[in-house]
Amino acid sequence: MESILSCTLALLLAPLFPGVINKTKAFVASKKGPPLLMKYYTLAKLLRKGSVYSTSSSFVFKMGPTVSFAAAAMPLFFIPLAGLPPLFSFQGDVIVLFYIMGIGRFFTIVAALDTASPFEGMGAAREAFFSMLAEATIFAVLILFYRMNGSLSLAEYFHGDKAVSLTGPAGALLLFVIVAMFMVLLTENSRVPVDDPQTHLELTMIHEVMILDHSGPDLALIELGAFFKLFFYSAFITHLLQPLTSFGALANALIFYGVLTLVYVAVGVTESTMARFKMNLVPKYILTSFTLVFFAAILTMGFLQ
Amino acid sequence: MDTLFWALAVIMAGGILPFVLYRQFRMMKAAAVIVTIAGSLLGLLAVLPALQDTGPPAVTWSWQHFLTLSFSLDALSAFFLVPIFLICPIAALYSFHYMDHPDDAWRIAVNYFFFAVLIVSMALVVCADSLITFALVWEVMSLSSFFLVVHDFQKKETRSAGYLYFIFAQTGAMCIFAAFGLIYSSTGSLSFALIDQLPAQTKLAVFLLALLGFGSKAGIFPLHIWLPHAHPAAPSHISAIMSGVMIKMGIYGIFRIYTLLGDTSLLFGQIILAAGMISGVLGVVYALGKHDIKRLLAYHSVENIGIILIGAGLGMIGIATGRPAMAVFGFAGSLLHVLNHSIFKSLLFMGAGAVLQKTGIRHVDELGGLIKRMPTTGRTFLVGSISISGLPPFNGFISEFLIYFAAFHGLTLPGMPFLLAALAIISLAVIGGLAAACFTKVVGIVFLGEPRSEGAARASEAQASMLVPMWLLALLCLFIGIFPEPFVRLAFSGLRDMTLLGPIEPGTGQELLANLAFAARLFLGMVIAVTLLRKVLYAKKKIASGPTWGCGFTQPNVRMQYTGTSYAMSVVEFFQPFVKIRAAYSGIRKIFPGRTTYETHVDDIAEIGMTRYLVQPLARTLDRLRWIQHGHIQLYIGYIVLTIIVLLLVF
Repeated sequence: MESILSCTLALLLAPLFPGVINKTKAFVASKKGPPLLMKYYTLAKLLRKGSVYSTSSSFVFKMGPTVSFAAAAMPLFFIPLAGLPPLFSFQGDVIVLFYIMGIGRFFTIVAALDTASPFEGMGAAREAFFSMLAEATIFAVLILFYRMNGSLSLAEYFHGDKAVSLTGPAGALLLFVIVAMFMVLLTENSRVPVDDPQTHLELTMIHEVMILDHSGPDLALIELGAFFKLFFYSAFITHLLQPLTSFGALANALIFYGVLTLVYVAVGVTESTMARFKMNLVPKYILTSFTLVFFAAILTMGFLQ
Repeated sequence: MDTLFWALAVIMAGGILPFVLYRQFRMMKAAAVIVTIAGSLLGLLAVLPALQDTGPPAVTWSWQHFLTLSFSLDALSAFFLVPIFLICPIAALYSFHYMDHPDDAWRIAVNYFFFAVLIVSMALVVCADSLITFALVWEVMSLSSFFLVVHDFQKKETRSAGYLYFIFAQTGAMCIFAAFGLIYSSTGSLSFALIDQLPAQTKLAVFLLALLGFGSKAGIFPLHIWLPHAHPAAPSHISAIMSGVMIKMGIYGIFRIYTLLGDTSLLFGQIILAAGMISGVLGVVYALGKHDIKRLLAYHSVENIGIILIGAGLGMIGIATGRPAMAVFGFAGSLLHVLNHSIFKSLLFMGAGAVLQKTGIRHVDELGGLIKRMPTTGRTFLVGSISISGLPPFNGFISEFLIYFAAFHGLTLPGMPFLLAALAIISLAVIGGLAAACFTKVVGIVFLGEPRSEGAARASEAQASMLVPMWLLALLCLFIGIFPEPFVRLAFSGLRDMTLLGPIEPGTGQELLANLAFAARLFLGMVIAVTLLRKVLYAKKKIASGPTWGCGFTQPNVRMQYTGTSYAMSVVEFFQPFVKIRAAYSGIRKIFPGRTTYETHVDDIAEIGMTRYLVQPLARTLDRLRWIQHGHIQLYIGYIVLTIIVLLLVF
């Protein structure tokens, strides 16, 4: 019951946190910035509107938002939130979840190609390439976690007795994971330095250009899905940073959401202090994250047998 | 066993009938198709009992007393018979409307004949129970498939593709026969039973030779060169059978020889796993770089053979290091992927065949927007694409998941096996990402967007007998994805007679499969729920249609769409030393430039390497020996006499 409440809360709060990023960026730039609830207003506005569909597109274009939304929402049912066990969990659920996100991406890409626009095709090609590399990092993280606690489920990674933690044995290796997962978070959620949602030129975008032709409730689904995805990755990192000691439900929730906010602030600070990479540097950037984790996994050969 | 032979006899009759009926074109096709389907159904009926408990006793035929053929049906054979009897009738049905040139009736009759021979010989390959039997039916299989490849023999490229395939098939067979020769010289018997008593060194040599032979049939990198040439040349239902079923005979051979050798050394697993990882990753990279739709699918066969071998290699490592869970999931994932691949790959080849028949175009960059003109082909091709990318809730994911699971079990091993298991996981992840990239390319460029040529704009939907098979296979893909349990059980039962593995505990993987099924259904349920939600959100809303937003450009045309070449290029460049990109750019030199051209080709390093370091030196050497063959008959007789004298003196 508590898990259901916690999961619902997360689904409802997901659009709040991108506001934190914007506030951070505004603060660094000494601006006032949009209100914290801006994303809710945007969603409400989009839901009220109708849509325009391109004459080039087919039913696949309309399936894109639906599938990618479902794929983005599903991981939140499987990850422990605020110190509570998740709704569902089983051995191997991480593999399933990352593949489910894969099918979401598959449909985002084919929906983009369905518009017959050269810009959207360009974005699609980049998305397919970079996410393939990011997948290598993610699976290297899973390898490391399996070496550390012998399980293949998000619930056991982050909840219960065997949970991985910075203070546990071999906890130092998690520093690599935190850095690498933060890099993957920026990649997969199209943030600076990989992608810049705020840029003015479609030619240089990755994710934003793929959804150019979507409008109305379809666009709302995509946006909300993107918030869920960002929330999932941030929660992943939060679990690694957060102390494991339990203080009771309310305190746990406060600590969890506190650390989570810090992760979003870190994203905002990164965005304010860094420029976007040139496109050909992005693969190197993602491979750096892979190397970090793979190095950590190799290190386990020394002291985890 | 009798039922099986009856089934094969019926299928063979289906191959001979067309010779009688070839004057009535439609009747000939109908007769061949119906009889083949009937025979295959009978065959499935014969296989089912063998899957559940021990198969029927072995059958032996003797002729004179030097040729003894023996056949038996154990669990592994029975498992491999399932894709044969499942996919072949579906492909036969597809051929009814696909083979649509009444002028070529006789040639099509011949095609049906060799089609039947191929089915029968494949079924006999998996049932063969002695070295000589295996060698014989293996050759029949290679030859019949060669005749199927050269169906369009008037085209020059078909003939050269057929020739290439012939050479690879025969060289591969030679390696297999060499392995059999080694076995015979050591045991002095043609039976399979004594192979496990070979000395360890011979076992390794036999295994390596067999791997070369079976690998060239299966299409392991770098022995895969014939695949991307033969598949585009063959008619599409033949490509479907060859890629979906026949190359799996190579996998069967590897499984069989491994079981027979009964050797649990780690080296075998390591070799197979390494071969699998190389084939898997490079296969899909080349698939991304190729733009002939059937050639691209052929490279995907290399990739999927890689995945199958990764599973098998993990299983072997599991046996060598005493991890039964790893072994069971590795082998089961491998076998299930054999079945899954036969389903989605034949579906994709059939879709490609429909596109080819209706547009006459193979190059993806000249197609586009076909899903509006060929809705069924497009939808089923989309399903096949998702399945082959290994994404849930379709069947490809189930087998890949089992292989992942085996690899994760291997992570607790120390040293080298740990590294290999970790690399297997990374390669599977990369293969998955690249396959998704490749199939978003195919679906997006071929079926979505706007048509890029006249041919694509004029296309129409294929006929019923081609659509029904595609629907059947697409539904099967989804069904296995949502109800994986019986099919994984099927793979487990295929492993029943594997003595190295020992009996599989009845409850193995029960919970896991239930959970997988739950996740797939949950996701499907969510997609349906969101679709309904979307309907509600759009109720009474204004929906308009207009041109695609051109980012401010007002004169977009279809030639400006992103092409498959540009879509894939950044990924292909990333893998560069392993992939050779040849670019030709005419350049702009004058103030008022004329026509400029830019071309890129992705060349296969295996092909380049084999031409440069094997074929050319061989041709040069043999060229120097040309003087032996001078055309003087007297001297030829002299050679014979000389040979006899030398033989008499030596022996």
